[in-house]
Amino acid sequence: MKRLRDRNPNEFRVGLFILVPITILLMFILLKLGYSLSGSTIDVYLKIDNISSIKKGTSIKLKGYDVGKVVDLTPVYRPALHFLAKMRIQKDIELHEDCSAIILNQNIIGDTVIELRNPYRRGKPLLEGDVIEGLEYVNLEELLKEVNKLLTSVTSTVDVLKQISLESRSNIRDMLANLSNSVGAVNNILQKSQGDILTTLSTFRDTSKVLNEISKELKKNPMKFILKGKKEETQEGKTK
Amino acid sequence: MIVKLISFFGSRTCSYGAAIADFSSFIMSIVNSFKYLKKVRFRTYYEVIINQTIFTGVNALIIVASIALLAGGTVIIQALTSLPKFGVEGFLGNLLVIIIARELGPLLTALIVISRSGSAIATEISVQKWSKEILSMELIGIDTRLFIVLPRVIASVISICGLIIIFDIVAFLGGYLISQTVVYISLDQFGQTLINAFTFKDIGAAFLKGTLFGITIPVICCYYGLKPVSKFEIPIYVSKAVMRTLFVTIILNIMVSIMFYV
Repeated sequence: MKRLRDRNPNEFRVGLFILVPITILLMFILLKLGYSLSGSTIDVYLKIDNISSIKKGTSIKLKGYDVGKVVDLTPVYRPALHFLAKMRIQKDIELHEDCSAIILNQNIIGDTVIELRNPYRRGKPLLEGDVIEGLEYVNLEELLKEVNKLLTSVTSTVDVLKQISLESRSNIRDMLANLSNSVGAVNNILQKSQGDILTTLSTFRDTSKVLNEISKELKKNPMKFILKGKKEETQEGKTK
Repeated sequence: MIVKLISFFGSRTCSYGAAIADFSSFIMSIVNSFKYLKKVRFRTYYEVIINQTIFTGVNALIIVASIALLAGGTVIIQALTSLPKFGVEGFLGNLLVIIIARELGPLLTALIVISRSGSAIATEISVQKWSKEILSMELIGIDTRLFIVLPRVIASVISICGLIIIFDIVAFLGGYLISQTVVYISLDQFGQTLINAFTFKDIGAAFLKGTLFGITIPVICCYYGLKPVSKFEIPIYVSKAVMRTLFVTIILNIMVSIMFYV
């Protein structure tokens, strides 16, 4: 190298000048194609029914961290049309073969990303060429359609309730008027029978006094009290 | 007055037409010279290509890198002061690709090459012509079109394409370094954003621009370099060479951008 440099320094400098940009460019093209220069990636496949939101270059994330990207999309015609997305993922990321892949939007206007989730109970590690099954597909468009459907349903329910309340407004008014009349009638009855109630209460009080006296007499001379009535009966019989 | 105005426009149009015709005949003479290319050994041009690449490419590296670093930093400073801070890290890569890689990189590189090498080529050839070196070469049967223009075109294409790549890389680095003063972005994330923002179309456009600039700059400068007939005309034609090349370069840049991005 040193000999070459010393023999013709200009050629050496021009060679370096050409090689360095070419190397940078090649490295960049390799990175853009999804290759890693250290060979620290694995290619795994994701089985999907619909590729409307996935394209080459779609990011793959694990817990929000970028772990790779989709490098190819292949249609599979049998048994039914589906697609295999080739995902180039960093090798040092710990993934398991029964992990799930969720297609979701980063935010309301953001790009679609594939979120990988390791299962709670971890199985065998994910290897080169494995296919990830059990895709949960969350499409923003579908979600918005569902929300729209729900809002339409809520609006129609509110309309029905409004109609019912309008129709039964007169009935409720009648019912309230009747209730008011009934309260008035009860009030009148109570006012009218106020004197009778007082008389009844004073009678109750007299009766209780008499009963109190009887109980006192009974405590003092129970036999006399019992026999008093008999004596009176016999006296009445004698006089008769 | 009107007659004078009309005659003025007429004379200008005629002079422009004559200049265009003259330039076209110069281009045609270069193209016609290509048929003698098989008879010429590559070794004849080799030294010229090496020397021209050293001057246009290698020796311009320091100035190109310095300007690239400052340009990248300036773009990022403007972006960080004008754009909202929150979430800006996701757009820095796109911004650098759009401004630096697509437009500023090729154009500023071409401007540096024009100001350094374009003027040098025009001056060198003018002096060669004034000192009858070119006449001597023609007299001994050397095709001056091939010997003077072609090696400079090859060296210029190599140099400009290489300088554009280096300019872009250094500008990205400058942008990254400046951005670190305001928002923290890891080098991985920054690199990933750049790679995501870059497309093969950008690379194609940059190379097309580099190739076109690499052809037009030495061709126009050689054309004006061969024009002077006395030593007093040398600075006039050198100045013309630089200005016309600048103009043509900007027009070409716009045309390629329209072709690729509109």
